[in-house]
Amino acid sequence: MLFNSIEFFLFLPLVFTLYWLIGSKRIKSQNLLIVTSSYLFYGWWDWRFLSLILFSSLIDYSIGLYLQSSKKPSTRKILLWISICVNLGFLGFFKYYNFFINSLVDSFTFFGSKLSVNTLNIILPVGISFYTFQTLSYTIDVYNKKLEPTKNFVAFTAFVSFFPQLVAGPIERATNLLPQFHKKRHFNYANAIDGLRQILWGLFKKVVIADNCAKYANIIFNNYQDYTGSTLLLGAFFFAFQIYCDFSGYSDIAIGTSRLFGFNLKRNFAFPYFSRDIAEFWRRWHISLSTWFRDYLYIPLGGSQGGLKMKIRNTFIIFIVSGFWHGANWTFIVWGTLNAVYFLPLLLLNKNRVNTDIVAEGKYLPSLKEIWQMSFTFFITIIAWVFFRANNVTHAVLYLKNTFTASLFSKTDLFPSSIVLLVLFFIVVEWLGRTGEYAIEKIGFMNKPLRWSFYLLIIILMFSFTGEQQEFIYFQF
Amino acid sequence: MKNFLKNIARFLVIAIAVGEIVVRMTHAVSDLPKRTIDQSGIQKYYPNQEGYWKDGNHKWTINASGWPGELPKSYHNLISIIGDSYIENFMNPNECHQSAFLKSLMPKYNFFEASRAGVSLIEAMEISKQTDSLSPKLTLIYVNDNDFYESIQNVKPLSDITQVDLERNAIIYGKMKSPGLKNILYSWKLLYYFYNRFPLSFNNQNAEEPIKNNIIADSKVSLYKQDITNLINYINENYALSNKILVFHPGSSKEIIDFCKISGFDVIVLDSSKDKKWTFDYDSHWTCYGHQKVAEQVQRNLVQSFLPNLIE
Repeated sequence: MLFNSIEFFLFLPLVFTLYWLIGSKRIKSQNLLIVTSSYLFYGWWDWRFLSLILFSSLIDYSIGLYLQSSKKPSTRKILLWISICVNLGFLGFFKYYNFFINSLVDSFTFFGSKLSVNTLNIILPVGISFYTFQTLSYTIDVYNKKLEPTKNFVAFTAFVSFFPQLVAGPIERATNLLPQFHKKRHFNYANAIDGLRQILWGLFKKVVIADNCAKYANIIFNNYQDYTGSTLLLGAFFFAFQIYCDFSGYSDIAIGTSRLFGFNLKRNFAFPYFSRDIAEFWRRWHISLSTWFRDYLYIPLGGSQGGLKMKIRNTFIIFIVSGFWHGANWTFIVWGTLNAVYFLPLLLLNKNRVNTDIVAEGKYLPSLKEIWQMSFTFFITIIAWVFFRANNVTHAVLYLKNTFTASLFSKTDLFPSSIVLLVLFFIVVEWLGRTGEYAIEKIGFMNKPLRWSFYLLIIILMFSFTGEQQEFIYFQF
Repeated sequence: MKNFLKNIARFLVIAIAVGEIVVRMTHAVSDLPKRTIDQSGIQKYYPNQEGYWKDGNHKWTINASGWPGELPKSYHNLISIIGDSYIENFMNPNECHQSAFLKSLMPKYNFFEASRAGVSLIEAMEISKQTDSLSPKLTLIYVNDNDFYESIQNVKPLSDITQVDLERNAIIYGKMKSPGLKNILYSWKLLYYFYNRFPLSFNNQNAEEPIKNNIIADSKVSLYKQDITNLINYINENYALSNKILVFHPGSSKEIIDFCKISGFDVIVLDSSKDKKWTFDYDSHWTCYGHQKVAEQVQRNLVQSFLPNLIE
């Protein structure tokens, strides 16, 4: 079920009503309702893959309990590895099998020999990368004794399959979300209203900004040979806003929806395009994934504690793995590598934690230095996005080659002014709201007529400028 | 909770009202004409309606006869045109209708259009019984392959369009599908906007497509060869064919076209293969350019084969 569909607009109020009718005293029944509705939500896409989530939940639930009862370190290690192998095995098979087979065949062809291996017609289960990482975090935390395993299977299943964040995150840690399934959830008016506000903003980002930018990004990327450098740069600009609004829009809807049910999810985006350097960008972009990799990969590898070689190695590993997590394509690996290249100088010069505050906090406008820093960071991010969006590496290279020609300074072949104005409106709202958890959080402090007028304005913009319905990009990851 | 629900309800009422105003003002959805069923069982539109097509760039009109487009100024030297949504042509202004283009190409003739979305071949033949009362010199019936299958109830039962039951040799007139619900949907623009914008999808969206009945055009014809032969025989026996010309859409099945020729139909076959795109990007209907090209090919065929002595 898509968040931007009629089905969801019928599903959400129904589940919300049932959930609060059950009442906060009956936690078990509420959790059971969450599991049932989450399975319905996921099964709407393809019910066959529910068995995969259920199996994954069963495995990690059991392993969690065994980890608690076994004292022998070797047994505990084996149990941890079973969980890692099962979870990453599913992910590897569904997401990467064909990529590895094709790459193997390509490398044999490159060296002059022929290898005939058939690929399989595999469907990628929606959200597999997200819930796999979520369950893995549970087992690893239990193994590291940071978390007591739960004995409540319904609560655990609800944690794995919680519908607001099941298919595209935020990737929740068991330490944050699981305990919330054991506690009473009370209806909180302010929290629920805040949740609705965040849903509204998330929808606006998705259906107005992302879907409209997608239209032009697709046209330009698919016909890059026919356009001037300036148009290609505009195409990359549109894609940058498409992917940001698509994904952060989803996160906003997920976080807002969870609030309606009395849950607090972690923040996933913190205005990344106002970053002053790439290190800050990565602290603000897809935070739940970045911190997952930091805690479960980068730090176990030694982080930045070791020597120069180790620092470089770990930086490349984390960015390349992060790129590969997004999809089985060399473009994502190049995208990850490029970001590692951007990040490395800051790390080596010990400048990766220079910009940890909010840009121009307490001021309306940034300084010239901040404008330059933000523009430069945005520009190099856009270059990397070209690899992320392109069909293959050659496509990306040719796209960039055609961009940086004399025609970069010519008039664009197409200029959808209404979409550019909408993006500008969006940037202004985000800038004014950058100190909040999400851009329009502060609207809640205005008086009612102003507040409601703003909501209506957003709704009117949604009616007037809704783009062609597109699936959320991150579903494919 | 009470307070929350109260405020949500209040806001929703205001939002629905504002939404309705905005959708109407911006023409975010097309206006749709209201239908009726006449005494002969033919579904047509209530006469003299008009409304905006999506985005409000042009208006469609329903004439006094209950058909889309404008009525001819004279019924002398009349050629009638019958068809489905392609001829109904709400997506283009009146000057892009077949009658308008043909009139400009053949000024001595007058053109009368009778069309409605979903009209099958057999329904077109039923409509031609009505238009024959205007004594047209010719009747052009625009068809594609589906119009043949959809004419036969035994092949593809469709309750909302007129079909023929070939086993009982009987015409079954179409009934209006949930007229009350449609009335609400078309009048409550905001609801219709949502219905269009976020269609209910009860099928899975990403999953592997279920195994399809992957019958390609010609093998489909082979499969239903007997039914199509029976349909054409039925039409031959029950309708006057002397002044009827079937105008086949580009890409129509050669087998069906040949069946029709052998069975005594006059045919014109449209060809768009050597031209730029005739259709919109977002649907398969003809653009104004497409309609112009269709009219040019029809006129050329009429001049060469059907009206050689009457053209300037």
